[in-house]
Amino acid sequence: MPIDFIAIMPEIVLTVTALLVLAADLALRGDAKQLVNPLATFGTLIAIGFTVFLWGDERTTFGTMFVVDAYAVVFKLVFLVALLAILGISWRFFAEGRYFQGEYYFLLLTSFIGMVLMPSARDLLLLFVALETVSIPAFVMAGLRKRDLYSSEAALKFFIIGVLSVALMLFGMSMVYGFTGTTDLVGIAEAIRAGDADVPLLLGSVMLVIVGFGFKVSAVPFHFWAPDTYAGSPMPVAAMLAVASKAAGFAGLIAIAFVAFEPLAEVWAPVLGVIAILTMTLGNLIALQQRDLIRLLAYSSVAQAGYMLVPFGLARSGSDAIAVNDAAVQAVLFYLAAYAVMNIGAFGVAIAVNRRTGLRSIADYAGLSARSPLLALALTVFLLSLGGAPPTVGLWAKFAILEAITVDVTAFGVVLGSFVVINSVIAFFYYLKVVKTLWMDEAREGLPTLQPGFNLSAVVVVLMVGTVVLGVLPGLITDFTSITSVLATG
Amino acid sequence: MTGHDVVFVLVGLLTAAAAILTVTSKNLVHAALFLATTLAGIAGVFLVLAADFLALVQLVVYVGAVAVLFLFGLMLTRAPIGREALDNQNRGLAIGVSGGLFVVLSALIVDAVVGGSLGDTTVAEVTGPGIEDIGMAIFAEWVLPFEVLSMLLLAALIGAIVLARREPGDSGEEAMATRIDFGDAPPTEGTDSLSSGSLPELTSGERREGGP
Repeated sequence: MPIDFIAIMPEIVLTVTALLVLAADLALRGDAKQLVNPLATFGTLIAIGFTVFLWGDERTTFGTMFVVDAYAVVFKLVFLVALLAILGISWRFFAEGRYFQGEYYFLLLTSFIGMVLMPSARDLLLLFVALETVSIPAFVMAGLRKRDLYSSEAALKFFIIGVLSVALMLFGMSMVYGFTGTTDLVGIAEAIRAGDADVPLLLGSVMLVIVGFGFKVSAVPFHFWAPDTYAGSPMPVAAMLAVASKAAGFAGLIAIAFVAFEPLAEVWAPVLGVIAILTMTLGNLIALQQRDLIRLLAYSSVAQAGYMLVPFGLARSGSDAIAVNDAAVQAVLFYLAAYAVMNIGAFGVAIAVNRRTGLRSIADYAGLSARSPLLALALTVFLLSLGGAPPTVGLWAKFAILEAITVDVTAFGVVLGSFVVINSVIAFFYYLKVVKTLWMDEAREGLPTLQPGFNLSAVVVVLMVGTVVLGVLPGLITDFTSITSVLATG
Repeated sequence: MTGHDVVFVLVGLLTAAAAILTVTSKNLVHAALFLATTLAGIAGVFLVLAADFLALVQLVVYVGAVAVLFLFGLMLTRAPIGREALDNQNRGLAIGVSGGLFVVLSALIVDAVVGGSLGDTTVAEVTGPGIEDIGMAIFAEWVLPFEVLSMLLLAALIGAIVLARREPGDSGEEAMATRIDFGDAPPTEGTDSLSSGSLPELTSGERREGGP
């Protein structure tokens, strides 16, 4: 069986880079160890090059297990650009902290190998292996600040909940395999369509799989780990968990829900819709109470996961529902891309402020506009974008979700849409509170000067410009996401 | 009921009893040993079901490696072994959730198999694929997940070393420990919360021997 090596080139490049990073770390000593960062960046750029090269291609290899199409390429680009940004905000943080740098970058790259595989996987087994490759390095990365008890707590909570969710998911997957006799996602859809769809056991297994992914995207009521883990991890790792790891969960959930379990959409769509409502509302209400910026971002990211789950609530089965499902998948994809840009940026600013002092309550950001106007402006843009204010990309992300609702208006869709709007208003309250602190309040005396470093500043500026430019010209993303309709192959 | 069924039920009961003892036992070492018994029992179930390859893998991987790893882990970390180690306030809740899940899932399974909602379940003689076929499948069709798994295992290995290693030279001068100061905490000793070092450092940072 010939293997299409071009199709898996981004994964191969990342793997080779990860191994080179590991070897380089062994050879380098002392301060030179930080040079593994540019090495990893270089490998990521090559992987991006190969991914762009795959644009417009339709490739299938390893049977039908691995598919490269427009949908997969867009997702891969989101992941790889996120990796680039995370590498940028990691450099100084890890070089100054003198963590295990080589090991960190190796684990980071390995985690991203799993992510890049995820949107291409069309097989339960590969999907599961990819998800584990995302998670297991992340468990370790969350605990890298070994002398900080918060970090150990973060790693332990993340590990135990992660393992529990995987156990549930795997149990569900094994039942699905037992029922359909195949692990191929399209094959599962066919078997479900051919067979008796409302077997309680099958529905229970589908729910188990979906619950497993619910943990990954930190949807309520499976969100308990997220704030503690984000708050305790090293901050670049928190950015990676909040953005890339969550996006990987969504990539898997899209493949599972819209390809394999598409015939059962009438069952899982209302469940995910209700979860979306709970996730948005609870995340935002708890975020209102936060006084620690990272925990605020954590609860806000729980709420954002709720927005992204809304399109899942719209899904329907049958051949006449393709338009609805396509719109739903595109809305999720657009939201994820926008969310990655603004959230990594917000974490980048938090790293710049926090790295030297360890301080991170919102009160410590008072007067940031005087200490560093650029960082204050950037954080303002990111927070406004997370809230969904014009002229930022966040507005269009929310708009895409509401647009997906209008494709085929149902009562449930209207309820979901109104919850999105109500929650956006609630969210503005706490985002604007931080913005007010940044610009209006006086800085405390005796704070050290900020030295974000070139890489971090560059990443923050690029993301800030991106947030605004995409807000003015949202077509730059929608042109790509709108052709990703190939997903509904079933 | 054939003799085959009797053996199956006996092995199943043994496995279930060992599994219950695993979670009820007060002593971690006993729990680990019961876990090994449970895993061996599952190998027995596979054997009765004529899945000899699975039974062998179960023995080698779970009984041979995982269970022994547990015991080594207990010894090396000098984890508290006795009674006091296992206090958890949420025991009732945990029993409720896991018991509820167990009842629901077993009801669903019984419904599917006995209630007949699976359709006509045909009883067929199981003649699993030979080991040669399994080898061909792993290294031809399923080679991608296999290779990704090897990368995953490498990452797990590196990660375990990172977490276990204590080397002051490389990780000696870490970044500042997390300090969360909302400015309205009840005053403790050294109330000026911004004079450096007086903030409550919630770290385990007393291990500084030999660092730079």
